Amino acid sequence: MKTAEVYEHEQGWNFEKAAMPYVDSLYNTAYRMTRNSEDAEDLVQETYLKAYKYYDKFEEGTNFKAWLFKIMKNTFINNYRKKKLTPHKIDFSEIEESYERVIQKNAPDLIRDPESEIFQDMMDEDVKRALDSLPHDYKMVVLLADIEGFSYKEIAEILDCPVGTVMSRLYRGRKMLERTLLEYARKYGYIRGVAEPAKMRSRKDETKGRKKKEEPEGESEAAEPEENEEEVLFAGGEDDFELEDEEEQQEEFAIE
Amino acid sequence: MLCDDVKRIAYFFLDGTLGEQKKNDFSAHLNLCPECEARTKLHRRLRIFVRNRLARLTAPDRFKQRLMRTLRAVAAEWS
Repeated sequence: MKTAEVYEHEQGWNFEKAAMPYVDSLYNTAYRMTRNSEDAEDLVQETYLKAYKYYDKFEEGTNFKAWLFKIMKNTFINNYRKKKLTPHKIDFSEIEESYERVIQKNAPDLIRDPESEIFQDMMDEDVKRALDSLPHDYKMVVLLADIEGFSYKEIAEILDCPVGTVMSRLYRGRKMLERTLLEYARKYGYIRGVAEPAKMRSRKDETKGRKKKEEPEGESEAAEPEENEEEVLFAGGEDDFELEDEEEQQEEFAIE
Repeated sequence: MLCDDVKRIAYFFLDGTLGEQKKNDFSAHLNLCPECEARTKLHRRLRIFVRNRLARLTAPDRFKQRLMRTLRAVAAEWS
């Protein structure tokens, strides 16, 4: 029989072996969340220490990477929630309309030739800024899906929200990110658009269309977007996105 | 399937999470509609572009070393 000491030693070793391969992924996401390297390092270190502490709670056979990300997200919320974040609610039709405007104005050539290489010259800094322009919840789903490759179900697990919410945030987050990238591409001359110069939308413009629906301002704590509103796009009478029933939803989307 | 439907589910098509029937309808529409085909390609390109640009960051080596030292110290302390 193993002594406690040997067992602890092995557990430490096993943990290190299991967890260290994810350090770059965690750090990358932490950096995108905190926006600076010092806070990102602190966040990742705290995540690893917590994960080590609760390693015996990890269920063998479930997704270890997703488990680490969930711990990191919870740690982030505990540490940064107080400082954070203006309430937001993203109006779907506003995103659609502005996306269409941007694409017609800035990217008519791109639609004709989507294989052209124009984006290759864009600065990393601009891509980062475009990501940072997304509201936090939308940025998170885009990072987790499109950078880290998590499935909707894993993201729902990491963020503690329904799969339908993940999908609707992904939809909106991706659209907003594309819109901003297209605007930057035009503004900084990576693509040619139609005659009139693209006007960068200010934060005020961004919120204009949805003011009337918003909660009264002045709440210091960030309000979660109302789930109902987020679901509207993908549920409720639409025959292709029936997300209310868990089983149906899995069948429809054949989630891995 | 109409253009509006295609716009709405293009990301999920690219995610590979549409059901079989929807996926086929989607592909059939793209074969008939150059604009939707171009948009879907643009979504795909932008996604790859964003992934390539934003996944480049790795944790600094000195941080990794410090992290491992910390973990080993904690493991030793607990044993």
